[in-house]
Amino acid sequence: MPERTLVPALARPLTRPAPERRGAVSKGCAVALGIVGAFALLLGLWGMGSYNGLVTAQEGIEARWSEVENQYKRRFEMIPNLVATVEGAADFERSVLTEVVEARAKVGQARLPETMPTDEKQLQAYMRAQQGLSGALGRLFALSENYPQLKATQGFLSLQDQIEGTENRIAVARRDYIETVRVYNTKRRRVPGNFMAALFGFEKAAQFTVEEEETAVPVIDFGGDDE
Amino acid sequence: MIALAHLLLAMVPGLPGAITGATTVVPYGIVALVAPAAAASPAAEVQVPKNDGWVTDLAGFLSDAQERELEALMESYKRGSTHEMALLTVPSLEGEAIENLGLAVGRSWGLGKAGVENGALLIIAKAEREIRIEVGRGLEGTLTDSISGRIIRDVISPEFKRGRFAQGIQSGIVAMHKAAGGDYGALPKQRRRRSAGRSLAQLVTSLLFLLMLGGMGGLSRRGRYRGGGLAGPLILGSMLGGRSGYGGGGGFGGGGGFSGFGGGGGFSGGGASGGW
Repeated sequence: MPERTLVPALARPLTRPAPERRGAVSKGCAVALGIVGAFALLLGLWGMGSYNGLVTAQEGIEARWSEVENQYKRRFEMIPNLVATVEGAADFERSVLTEVVEARAKVGQARLPETMPTDEKQLQAYMRAQQGLSGALGRLFALSENYPQLKATQGFLSLQDQIEGTENRIAVARRDYIETVRVYNTKRRRVPGNFMAALFGFEKAAQFTVEEEETAVPVIDFGGDDE
Repeated sequence: MIALAHLLLAMVPGLPGAITGATTVVPYGIVALVAPAAAASPAAEVQVPKNDGWVTDLAGFLSDAQERELEALMESYKRGSTHEMALLTVPSLEGEAIENLGLAVGRSWGLGKAGVENGALLIIAKAEREIRIEVGRGLEGTLTDSISGRIIRDVISPEFKRGRFAQGIQSGIVAMHKAAGGDYGALPKQRRRRSAGRSLAQLVTSLLFLLMLGGMGGLSRRGRYRGGGLAGPLILGSMLGGRSGYGGGGGFGGGGGFSGFGGGGGFSGGGASGGW
């Protein structure tokens, strides 16, 4: 009795579920494939979003950088005029004028590519030259306080306004650049971005250092509030 | 599933940056404010005062009547030229550079028409005795740094030195208008008004105009920059326009018809600073 019932009980599960299991396997395969496909699609979309984000951020940096360069260039071009005005209007301290001219020449040598800077060293050399010029100009304007005759010249005042205005624009452009670079570099390092960056060669954008920022700040404050 | 994928990806070597990436040093509080990408983040260090129409007189340089006059002038100017010029006075800068304040305020108030960026801001800091004209990108070509500097030195500062603050501010705004070119909004408005019929709002605006022009006429006789050249034809135009309510009395509620800023905020540091 127990043997009779046991044998068919054993035999049944061995023979019957076999076709059932085959069906389950192919069904499971399809589901797995579907999940993998959906996952790949999601991943692809994710990657695409990240790629596009990087491209946009890079464009933003290029725009900001060209603004920084434009302002530096603008200042560069105003200096001969300033030097001529100062020389013409007063018996001005030669050494300060020479310093400005030399600092300008150094800026002229330090060139960067027009596109997004990626070389930190190159950027730093460029910035050092520009800071040197800022410092020399700051000293010139500070010294000009001792020359009331010069300070009364409309041409000089106008140039001072323009150069100070440009210095301020430089400060603003730099801050805007710093922020866009920060956003981009962060994107580059975060998860989908880092794969995209490695895959499509998004280079790290060169950042201004904090130290450079600190030296730049006093420059925008010189003069102006002296009257 | 996706959460798992995140976990897996995050475990790939060399990825700790994904977690710490946000800690990149930002040297300035203002940075967070100025970048469009970070528009939602609060002004970390520069405290942007709440806007109060065309004139935000926190330092209390102007009487109510003077403020209304000035606001009417600015509104009329916006209608005529679309340029937006606002005033901010603060009791103190509290250690902030006036340039930083000007930039932050211009950007955060959205001064100037979006895309055209034709806004400008006159800022006066009482305690520090500093003046700044902050110029939007769209006006940098006309209201240049050197013209801004001259307006501060030759128009505003001399009046301030004599303690005539309202006068200095008004002359300064008029000079800024003049430099930026364009026209006041009265004449074309008058013509349109006639065809469109009369409404209470139009009546109030035209009354404000007359009041403002009266104030300007008085100013121009002494001010170095004369806005008076416009006053004659404008008054005439108002008369011809059929507005007979030349009562000139008080009783105006609200400001000078502030119609809001254009939401541009395209400032990149143009303008000039000075003091008195």
